[in-house]
Amino acid sequence: MTTAISNTTKFDAAGFEALLAERAGEPAWLTERRKVSWQAFEAANWPSSKDEEWMRTDIRLFKLDAFKPTAGVPVAIAGEQPLLSHGVDLGGRVESVNGAATLSELDGEIIAKGVVFGSLSEAVTQHGDRLQKAFDREVVSPTYDRFAMLNDACWTGGVVLYVPKGVRIEKPLHAVSRLSGAGATDMTKTIVVLEEGAEATLLMESASTDAESAGLHNGTIEIVVGRGAKLRYVNLQNWNNRTWHFAHQKAVVGKEAQLQWTIGALGARLAKVNQRVALAGADAEAQVNGVMFTQGKQHLCYNTHQHHEAPYCRSDLLYKNALQDSSRTVWRGMIQVDEAGQRTDAYQRNDNLMLAATARADSIPGLEIEADDVRCTHGSTSGRVDDTMIYYAMSRGYTRQEAVRMIVTGFFQQVFDRITIDSVREALGEAIGQRVQDLPNQ
Amino acid sequence: MSEFIPVGPITDFADPSSTLVEVDDESVALIHAAGSFYALDDVCTHDGGPLSDGPLHEDENPPAIACPRHGAKFALTTGAALTMPATQPTRVHEVKVEDGQVLVKLTV
Repeated sequence: MTTAISNTTKFDAAGFEALLAERAGEPAWLTERRKVSWQAFEAANWPSSKDEEWMRTDIRLFKLDAFKPTAGVPVAIAGEQPLLSHGVDLGGRVESVNGAATLSELDGEIIAKGVVFGSLSEAVTQHGDRLQKAFDREVVSPTYDRFAMLNDACWTGGVVLYVPKGVRIEKPLHAVSRLSGAGATDMTKTIVVLEEGAEATLLMESASTDAESAGLHNGTIEIVVGRGAKLRYVNLQNWNNRTWHFAHQKAVVGKEAQLQWTIGALGARLAKVNQRVALAGADAEAQVNGVMFTQGKQHLCYNTHQHHEAPYCRSDLLYKNALQDSSRTVWRGMIQVDEAGQRTDAYQRNDNLMLAATARADSIPGLEIEADDVRCTHGSTSGRVDDTMIYYAMSRGYTRQEAVRMIVTGFFQQVFDRITIDSVREALGEAIGQRVQDLPNQ
Repeated sequence: MSEFIPVGPITDFADPSSTLVEVDDESVALIHAAGSFYALDDVCTHDGGPLSDGPLHEDENPPAIACPRHGAKFALTTGAALTMPATQPTRVHEVKVEDGQVLVKLTV
């Protein structure tokens, strides 16, 4: 079993030149774009605790030199069965290892409708000029911070989904990214475009092939949901607990369009994710669901942003976190309503269940409202498992441990009830249920 | 069971100085002051600030280090919170010098 990692290259000037040489088949505009981003990366500093966004997330132990750019010919690795696709009749699937595509399949009847789904690396060499528009849109700014610059310069692999106007895909599409071996990197871009009236379900997940190898994910996700289109998007982060995970994710939801975006965050040593939703057209709707379960010394930081740019839009965000051991979560949520966003209906909520006295959860909801006719509400709770509930369950014959497990499972039920895809609900339930089974006596 | 883990030669740590070192995936503030070494969690228990970036007060009794964010002081020997806004101690770890190498053993 071998991987596509070169042993000598690093993320330095020579490594970047090697990456460009290997990707000589890419269109000229993309190569130029990579060079501009690389220059910006070299000139920039890493974020520090002096930056407001990073003051609760310490990355001083992160050393980029410990990781290698993806190079060489990808080799498929037999990983565990993906969680989200179990028992699902898929319309297409994409697999990658260490940021290099190893599998790309799509049903013939879906291809016939003009849908494009596969590796972004391959797509840019085949349909580069058509994809330029999607890159130029810069849904995620390539200069947002040094991680975004690095991604824009050195991305490999990735996923692209394009659904033409009025096309409805019944079967879910699935993509899994794997990290294999010490120093492995997954530096991917995901681009999703649904044209007017299109519908699709995209399930994406990540996994490590072993529990001990330190890996790096530095990715971006850019989603455009066109007028009246509907996208159900699921992203399950399930790296091992030695992986650094940095991500910039943004969806732009058009007029009368609907987005249901579900995030599961279970793995990673340290995760720092910016998840943004822009409601750009009138009467757009976004539902954001988040589930986190942390243990050991994990540190997961999610910054969410609901941006109401147009009137009559609705956004509803619910994050539920359970924390064990000395793990830590940080959630910073912002609802921003522009002056044009009249009759906005926006909600954000974060609930934290503290399963150990040494765990820590930071919840920082925020509102920035410039319109004068809106309904914007937010809430946050943090608490331990209620002794009264344990007492009641024990009086009914359950052991203390059974009672705690039942209460933790019930804590997540509220967010599971919002997820409309059966396989996702079952997969998240199973993954969390496994961790709940391992809970020690409280 | 944790063990003593080398973090670098003694010459890497001037006296006085405070340095961030990585010990078994954890951030530790290694402090060299008045001829002695001290090791504390590099985390202010008030707001998570990086103690190793803060000013040393090695001449005070007890010798201390302050958080750069809000000025909370922690005793180098015990990790006790000496001033507000911190109220909880930070962990201290064992340090020893052998053959010119500084070694740290994490407190579990």
